[in-house]
Amino acid sequence: MASPACWKCLSRPSPLQMTSQIQLRSATAAFSTTTPVFNVVKKKTAAGKLIQSKAGQAKTLRLKKKAPVKMGKPPAPGERKAMRKRVVLSNTNALAVPGMQDLKKDIVGNLGKEFVGRVLGIEGKTVDALRAAEAFKPHQSWCFFRRPGILIREETIVLGEKIIDAEKEGGLKLVLDGDRVTGKSLMLVSALAMAHVRGWIVLNVPEAQELTNAVTDYAAIEGSKLYSQNTYTASWLTAIAKTNAAILDKLKLTQEHPEVPIPLPADITLTRLCELGARDPEISWPILQALWKEMTANGRPPIIMALDGLQYISQDSLYRTPDFKPIHSHDLAIVDHFLAYLSGEKTFPNGGAAIAATSRSHAPTSKSMELAIRKSQERQFGGRVIERDTWGRERYDDIRAIEAFRNDENLRSIEVFAERDPWEKNYDARSDRALAKIETMKLAGLSRIEARGLMEYWAQSGLLRKQVDEKIVTEKWTLAGNGVVGEIERGALHMRI
Amino acid sequence: MKIAWLPAGVVEGVRCACLPRKMPLRPLIGQQTFFPGRRQLSTTPVRSASASITAASPISFVGGDKKNSGDATYKDATDEIFYARLVPYSPSYFTAQPYFIDDVLEVEKLAQKYAALPVVKRADAPRIAWITLMEYRDIVGERVNASKYKKVLHVLQRLNQIHPTVMPWDVKKKLKQYTRNINPYKNVPKPGIVDEGGRAIGVGKRKSSTARAWLIEGNGEVMINGKTLSEAFGRIHDRESVIWGLKATDRLDKYNVWGLVEGGGTTGQAEALTLAVAKALIAHEPALKPALRRAGCVTRDPRKVERKKPGHVKARKMPAWVKR
Repeated sequence: MASPACWKCLSRPSPLQMTSQIQLRSATAAFSTTTPVFNVVKKKTAAGKLIQSKAGQAKTLRLKKKAPVKMGKPPAPGERKAMRKRVVLSNTNALAVPGMQDLKKDIVGNLGKEFVGRVLGIEGKTVDALRAAEAFKPHQSWCFFRRPGILIREETIVLGEKIIDAEKEGGLKLVLDGDRVTGKSLMLVSALAMAHVRGWIVLNVPEAQELTNAVTDYAAIEGSKLYSQNTYTASWLTAIAKTNAAILDKLKLTQEHPEVPIPLPADITLTRLCELGARDPEISWPILQALWKEMTANGRPPIIMALDGLQYISQDSLYRTPDFKPIHSHDLAIVDHFLAYLSGEKTFPNGGAAIAATSRSHAPTSKSMELAIRKSQERQFGGRVIERDTWGRERYDDIRAIEAFRNDENLRSIEVFAERDPWEKNYDARSDRALAKIETMKLAGLSRIEARGLMEYWAQSGLLRKQVDEKIVTEKWTLAGNGVVGEIERGALHMRI
Repeated sequence: MKIAWLPAGVVEGVRCACLPRKMPLRPLIGQQTFFPGRRQLSTTPVRSASASITAASPISFVGGDKKNSGDATYKDATDEIFYARLVPYSPSYFTAQPYFIDDVLEVEKLAQKYAALPVVKRADAPRIAWITLMEYRDIVGERVNASKYKKVLHVLQRLNQIHPTVMPWDVKKKLKQYTRNINPYKNVPKPGIVDEGGRAIGVGKRKSSTARAWLIEGNGEVMINGKTLSEAFGRIHDRESVIWGLKATDRLDKYNVWGLVEGGGTTGQAEALTLAVAKALIAHEPALKPALRRAGCVTRDPRKVERKKPGHVKARKMPAWVKR
């Protein structure tokens, strides 16, 4: 057996060493070369564990998940939503487009064919007003340009003419329809901008779904089957006051308002009236009614009311009655008020317009609304819609009927072909009635001239870094599904590599 | 079995039986043209399958008056020459590939013989599908180098270029020997037609999708299955695929496309339409075919979903390894 002392070391083993060795040896089992069991330190298993599950099942490897590392501070409550809703209307990095005309009062009246394809800037005052009315939306790419501008399409010119015509008593009621990203909301912005520069009072419901999907409080109105949405109404009054401050500041109360539960000081401006309503949501609805009465009094300016997302108000809302039955959207006071003008039940005494746009992105389908739009198209064009032509527009079977319709006033009572599907259950009777007489404007792709004008505007703003020639215009126009404006933008601005 | 070890009398018979090509079948590829003198030198009737050594005629011991003897005896002696040893059937016998070398020589001889005849340009000569190297190897039963066979084909190609009006019959015969039975060049697709309405149809396939596209003169409008391009294909890449043929040839603003497509997924449908549009465009303007081929719009992509295999989870994926 080897000596316990180091064999290379010449020193003798000390007695101390000897004794400790002996003691140690006696502690272990004699004649065993294996390490004693109790000396074995159990190794800890690695992070992963092979786990034997029940018979017949495979072994599985379970790894412990690491907790995610927290970096920085989470955003404060409401910050994320603020970021989401933020609308940036100017970009100092973008080039200012030289020679860009502004949309002015006299231009709206004289929009001619020569304006087609041009982008007109929106004046600062109007921008502020429309921002207060939430007409600009975050996803509309305003942040790319030096300042907001609107493209003049052929439809814009038609709409401008309609707005000029609507300054007389009666007014305009119009539904804007079209496929996804064909520019319906932008057409609403154009309408609001044109109305604003013409000195109209602007009321805008930026998202109809905010009214109907039960995100604001509601209360039954006494003595009526309607429900008011007081908080929404109050904030709407704030927006109205801000948007139309220039006009409402000059207008004063002229009538008695017994429906308002608080005593109204005589001789206050309409802005002040709005503020009173905005301050106290409980009385906001009566104040809105009083405001409306004042705004439609004799000698007041025309009013434009716009709403985006018509489908949302063409069906039951998500609100419930006390006995848990769904409340129809038309029973909400603001919706009811808007639809009274859109359906033609009431008219604007000093002129005005009620314009609604459909939403085609993820809005619910409304069979009644689709039927009403189709019927309206047929009334307007005098024929049955048989198919969509290569422009994506609907083609009507009788061209002569269209011509005759245009030329002959007596043919206004032309037979309407679109019929209700007898097997369809999801028609909404109240929407049918409300939308029975609407006038529609169908938006489709841009024409080549419009597309080219828009792309030149982008190039001048420094966004499209390519020569705008017939080749690239054709390519983008075709790729965008025959000129759908949102798709052109996607292809030319967003998908740049 | 090594034939050379066998007794000399058996060798020839065995070799005939072993060869992939039987001796009498030799004219399959070329008529063996031996010099008349050569045959006389041979002791063996080489061309026969039953060829074996013929015994020499019995020696006449009539004496020195051989010439004076009967005519018949003298004739026999002159007809059947006695050969002391076996003579190969071909001068190429001792090359490694005698049949092949013979063929080469024959073809070259023909080429030399008719070198002075007028020729047409190579592109104008009738296109012939030559028998492939593998087929040729099977016929001659020899290991023939690809490069060497290519040289034969080269000479044949030269023979093929002889002006058709003066093409000699023996060259025709030789060319026929080297021509494949089936002529794949006859199988040409029918050229597309533009109908009285100015429309041309093209059909394309990719993966599991089948597309038909009608092309008509227009200004770049596209309708697929009654929808606009943006409605039919959400991905811009797919939309670009559909109009790629028109874009690559600068014809985007000259035609309208009306397409029907079914089966498969979006990529397959888009790329099936690429093919369909390109074919319809070729019907309108056949001269664009090379440009479209360069753009990759002419050839059908033959790839399909790979089949699943037993023992695999998918086509290639194996189940995860699990310790027992």
